[in-house]
Amino acid sequence: MDGWKMKPVVLGIASFAVMLLAWESAVRLGWVNPFFVSQPSAVAATLSRTAKSGELEHNLAVSLGEFAVGYGLSVFVGILAGALAARFRTIEYALDPFLWFLYSAPLIAFYPIFVIWFGLGVPTVIALTFLLSFPQIAASTLNAFQNVNPGLIRAARAFGATESDLLWKVALPASVPMVIAGLRLGIGRALMGVVVGELFGSTAGLGYSISYYGGLLKTTDLIASLAVIVVLGVLCTQGLSALEARFDSWRVND
Amino acid sequence: MKLTRSIYLTAHNAASRLCAQRTLISTLAVVAFLAVWELAPRTGAVDATFTSQPRRVMAAGWDIVTSGGFLNDVSVSLAEFAIGFGLAIAIGVPVGLVLGRFPLLRNILDPPIMAIYATPHLALLPIIVVWLGIGMQSKIAVAFVGGVIPILVNTTAGVRGLERSWIVAARSFCASSWDVFVKVILPGSLPSMTLGIRLGLSRAVLGVVVGEMYQSQAGLGNKVMRYGSEFRTDYLLFYVLLISVFGLAATTAVRVFEEKLWTAGK
Repeated sequence: MDGWKMKPVVLGIASFAVMLLAWESAVRLGWVNPFFVSQPSAVAATLSRTAKSGELEHNLAVSLGEFAVGYGLSVFVGILAGALAARFRTIEYALDPFLWFLYSAPLIAFYPIFVIWFGLGVPTVIALTFLLSFPQIAASTLNAFQNVNPGLIRAARAFGATESDLLWKVALPASVPMVIAGLRLGIGRALMGVVVGELFGSTAGLGYSISYYGGLLKTTDLIASLAVIVVLGVLCTQGLSALEARFDSWRVND
Repeated sequence: MKLTRSIYLTAHNAASRLCAQRTLISTLAVVAFLAVWELAPRTGAVDATFTSQPRRVMAAGWDIVTSGGFLNDVSVSLAEFAIGFGLAIAIGVPVGLVLGRFPLLRNILDPPIMAIYATPHLALLPIIVVWLGIGMQSKIAVAFVGGVIPILVNTTAGVRGLERSWIVAARSFCASSWDVFVKVILPGSLPSMTLGIRLGLSRAVLGVVVGEMYQSQAGLGNKVMRYGSEFRTDYLLFYVLLISVFGLAATTAVRVFEEKLWTAGK
């Protein structure tokens, strides 16, 4: 049993190792030009250099701060809006067209307007992060509350549950896994907001440094920042997947 | 008989009333929003330079459509999207099918694929521009990268989620592996394949637009960037609206196809 569980992990690590090795040796053997693709050893050296100089820490702090505020806001507002829409049909219908628009619009195009409103830098990135992840979270929350098994609600009512009992003891626990699934999808969009916001309308952060080094054709520094973003994305998504599994564990498959 | 019919009719009426109510409230909300948007700058509460007005956006739209060069931008963006997303389907679906069938390969490739999936694909823009330049190729590549991963992942999931017994049943009726593939695996994984295509579609559209905004010579994103930096909000909003409508229409088309598939399956 243990052997079966370990196998994918070992294979996964091995595949990363082989890829890095192939990349490094392709450059060393002169098959590809390091100007375009850099090489793992150089990227690692750059990462440790920027970690020592504090550049990495600064960029990471800026990006994480923007992410935390923007995503935090959209979690709060998204769950609130989704819950209200699930409870009051009028709100759902009124909100619907706007959620659809926000969901499908290339919101990044609004960044010049945001820059006028909020100024270049952190507030603009936060606004983009919020707008990108909020509709996803609101829609998932609405969906989650609407999909609560009506049998559960009827049973609770029959045993004299009040409206607040219904919310806290039935609707909320029953919909938590789907809400968290929405939060997970929202994280992807929020990260997108941070990176793209910084790509266009910022002066610091990981996305900014990707764009900055891209403009200077310094591939190694670019890939180093990109690697940090990849790691961040994986950590966030995996973290919420674990949370989702935890909250979903009580559910009986029907 | 009569009773069931009247119950049915009551339910039907209630449903259509609900539907009408929905349309009414949604329309009212949009109209109210447009009215506030139109009237707020007139009262002087906000500056129309930054918010524009529906009337001005419509005028700008007319101006853009009737002037030359509009069709050129549309065709450049559409071509980038079509090629990039077409490639994403052409590569994502077969690779996804193969990964779904061969667990060893899947275990090897899963971690890198998941890592790319968890990364915002637009973060790859600067390096793609370094590799492919500022022409159409880099946008095609970004649209491809954005579209291919969800298609691949969902196709794989579709194949894995297939009922084992279907394949066993087909085998026991002497189906060759080709038959199993064409008659069981392909149709069985079609719903989640289309789900992947729908998810990939909006990412590909975003890839083209943001790619053009980042570095380009033509296309809708290029114009968004230009009018954005000139602060011509009315022109900017028309382009944004146009792109949103395109994304929405394409997504809806795939969704309708998807729903047809589900009902056909049942």
